[in-house]
Amino acid sequence: MSERGVRAGVRRLFRLALHRPDWAADEADAELESVLQERVDFLVSGGMAPDAARAEALGRLGDSIHGARARLQHSAERRERHLMLSEWLDDLLTDGRYALRSLRRSPAVATAAILTLALAIGANTAIFSAVNAVMIRPLPFQQPDRLVALWEKNPDFHWYQEDAAPANYIDWQEQVSAFADVAAYPSFPGTVTLTGSGAPRLLPAQVVTGNFFEVLGIRPFLGRTLRPSETWSTGGPSAAVLSYRCWRDVFGADRGLVGRTVQLDGQSVEVAGVLPERFAYPGLDVDVWQAVGWDPTARTQVWFRRAHFVRTVARLKPGATAESANAAFQAVVTRLEHDYPATNTHMGAGLTPLHDFLIGSTRLPLLVMFGSVAVLLLIACANVGNLLLVRAAGREREAALRLALGAGRGRLVRMAFAESLVLATLGGAAGVALGGWGTRILVAMQPPGMLPVQDLSMNWGVLAYAVAGTALSALLFGIAPAVWMGRRIPADALHEEGRTASGSLRSGRLGDAILVCQVALAIALTLGAGLLVRSYLVLQGVAPGFESQGVLAVRIVLPGIRFDSTRKVLSFYDELEARARALPGVEAAALVSQVPLGPPSWSSQFSIAGHPTPDQGTQAIHRELSREYHKVMRVPLLRGRFITDADRREAPYVVLINETLARTYFQGENPIGQRVAFDRIPDSMSTWRTIIGVVADERQASLAESPQPEFVAPYSQEARSAMTLLVRTRGDPATLGPAVRQIVAQLDPGLAISSMQTMDEVRMASLARDRFLTALLLSFALVGVVLGLVGVYGVVAQLARRRTREMGIRIALGARVGQVQWIVVRHGVVVTLLGVALGVGAALATTGALRTLLYHVAPTDPATFVLVPLLALVTSALASWLPAIRVSRADPSDVLRSD
Amino acid sequence: MALLKGTLDVLVLKALSWGPLHGFEITRWLEARADGQLIIEDAALLQALHRLEERGLLKAEWGVTENNRRARYYALTPAGRTKLKREMESVLQSVAALTGILAVRTPSQGGAR
Repeated sequence: MSERGVRAGVRRLFRLALHRPDWAADEADAELESVLQERVDFLVSGGMAPDAARAEALGRLGDSIHGARARLQHSAERRERHLMLSEWLDDLLTDGRYALRSLRRSPAVATAAILTLALAIGANTAIFSAVNAVMIRPLPFQQPDRLVALWEKNPDFHWYQEDAAPANYIDWQEQVSAFADVAAYPSFPGTVTLTGSGAPRLLPAQVVTGNFFEVLGIRPFLGRTLRPSETWSTGGPSAAVLSYRCWRDVFGADRGLVGRTVQLDGQSVEVAGVLPERFAYPGLDVDVWQAVGWDPTARTQVWFRRAHFVRTVARLKPGATAESANAAFQAVVTRLEHDYPATNTHMGAGLTPLHDFLIGSTRLPLLVMFGSVAVLLLIACANVGNLLLVRAAGREREAALRLALGAGRGRLVRMAFAESLVLATLGGAAGVALGGWGTRILVAMQPPGMLPVQDLSMNWGVLAYAVAGTALSALLFGIAPAVWMGRRIPADALHEEGRTASGSLRSGRLGDAILVCQVALAIALTLGAGLLVRSYLVLQGVAPGFESQGVLAVRIVLPGIRFDSTRKVLSFYDELEARARALPGVEAAALVSQVPLGPPSWSSQFSIAGHPTPDQGTQAIHRELSREYHKVMRVPLLRGRFITDADRREAPYVVLINETLARTYFQGENPIGQRVAFDRIPDSMSTWRTIIGVVADERQASLAESPQPEFVAPYSQEARSAMTLLVRTRGDPATLGPAVRQIVAQLDPGLAISSMQTMDEVRMASLARDRFLTALLLSFALVGVVLGLVGVYGVVAQLARRRTREMGIRIALGARVGQVQWIVVRHGVVVTLLGVALGVGAALATTGALRTLLYHVAPTDPATFVLVPLLALVTSALASWLPAIRVSRADPSDVLRSD
Repeated sequence: MALLKGTLDVLVLKALSWGPLHGFEITRWLEARADGQLIIEDAALLQALHRLEERGLLKAEWGVTENNRRARYYALTPAGRTKLKREMESVLQSVAALTGILAVRTPSQGGAR
């Protein structure tokens, strides 16, 4: 306590300084009493009577006894609180400084640990940014939890969460009292061409009902949003609302833009307003918002209830719950089914919270990515833990010495944790920086439309996750060395002469346990990734039914305002096709309303002349195309004939069917010559088409989906204003691009090309999601495997080092080199085997979650479950062999002489 | 004589510069050196001790007195020692300044004498 030592006659019984605010009050009372008593003793020894002395002592207090007590209790408590904090900070600083110093002494270990952690935490931060943006962050609308999506279902067509028919939507809006309001928007994305300022520019566009922004509770940044009355067309001038991004980037953030007219698709449209910057609707990356402007007479027409193409957003009335709203909703749905049997038979409907509905299919891939990256962090923690454990074991003498010199065991544990914490902090900081970078890579690499949210910026939630992840990893990988430090027995370490000791073996066992877990995690992760790889390979090998190589696809959308008649549309496309066919190197050219593996095509119900109306609905995709389509795509004809030039507009209506349709609806019959109408129950208004041929199946929506029944009709008999030009060439189709662009510009300088891709690109793009997820998981798994192998190598090398002496003796006694090596390798293999067993068990329990992501591969795919563990065993045996070779090379005489 | 405001801290530090003392020893040490001219209230002293300890200028431990009674012993920390040096200088300077001012003889009073 004092440099000058203990004063004569004073016996001190020092207790540990206890900084505990709740004890401070008692302590203050005791101290006050002791001072009073000392004074009393002093006065009494001077001759005063005890009572008088007591009174005098109280008098010298300067306060009443109660007042003094209270004052001192208060000041003592304050002191303790303050001291406790500063003591804690002090120790933290000391430990931190010590940890830094000791880590600097082994820079290789420190660098390896920090890099491993930085990578793992960085990957976690990036993936969590996506999870946060898509799943956690509330939608940027007013009271987003009061919004639900309404959808239709029909068991006849295997419909679930399907688009609604607009007439049904309008009835829901008007008749379900539990909804404050319901908005809708067609589910197909659109584009508009902006002209009048420089080159024609294609902007992503969406039409919505007039009340759309009102339902979401979005106030405009400038001007106004759309008006509910604009849902119905009045023939007046139309208005558009622009995204903030469009206003800023296309119109130079001109505040005077509102109220002015711009040329969209050759039509004058008034800019009514600009949306706020933070407005974003998941899945709709749109610059130009316009009202649907439905024809008011459409309400009573049957197609308005037959065609299912709108998505809806409803806001619940205050007080209404999802359950009560659904009950009211179902009553209306049932009534509609009864009132409109022609269109609404078996047509059910349901509601889902809007957020869940919009993220839909993104949820599972995201969760899989998130789970994998979390496993990766665990693997990294195991690695760092083992690294630190090896280091701690190497410093057992230092630890023993500290203990012998009086350091508490708790203090040693804390020191070990401080090291972990310093490593984690450095790794975490680097990881967050890497994560910011990784997020940008993620956004850049994700297939278009995979994440329905564009803004993945880092926010407090992400940062909190990174910090929590860092702290958790410090705790995880800090446990092993801390436990190790805590249970060291000082005596044997100090007495040890050599390096081999029972203690090392114990640290080895702890290390083995960690390694088993690490291998198990890596195996489970790799099995998951392996399943996805297998599935991807199967999927990639699926024959699409057409030959994608050598074909260029150019999408052109004709603005209806200028191409207002079928004649104009047909003459444009005919001319385009003729000129494209005349290009040098072109084998064939055709037009099609939708390319396969692209955006979904229209589908409708149909009936066959002479066939009874089936109880279950009939549903078929229909596409329109020109004569040479099957030549361009090399789709074979199975029966009948192809479309010819004779199938003009004036000629009898004809149609081709695909193999699946022929098989499904004409079992044993010859379909050629039969007639079909695109109505479930045909009437006098129905158009009848004659089947002229059967073509082979093409995959339609995706390679993963088996072909659906399909009709293809000559486009000249069913004109569409949006068509894709397909050109087959002998060379590289991409080189045709400039020539096609030139043709389009010559035909109509006001047209922008919507998209230009080779069919190979279309095919690859249709697999983009699967490829992205597979590649991401595979790279996580690879990192996990590498970390696992490094772990095996590290543990086995440590074992080899400890047993070098023993091996030397064995060799000196005549053991063969192979035998000695096997002792070392066996250890690595046994540990790996245990890990593999555990990992396979864990994978079997969890890969079921991947089921819907897998194509024709079972979650327990035997090939994957044999191959991955086998590879793991072989590679870990190799990793164990390296240290084994070194041991067996050691000269026995050197080994025996050392130590 | 009451204590000059703000000087209790420096006096306590001074008392402890000779070695660890408990509360009453500090009072006795100070009162002995002030020839009984100085009265220190015990409550104020203890409060000052708590405050100084909180600031890290003192450290304290429980010990046993000559009368075999438990008491809290206070000792200077290195920070306390530095503080004492600085405070002593500043107190001595201000006392010197005060003395200088107060020593100036006032003419009217001088005349009355």
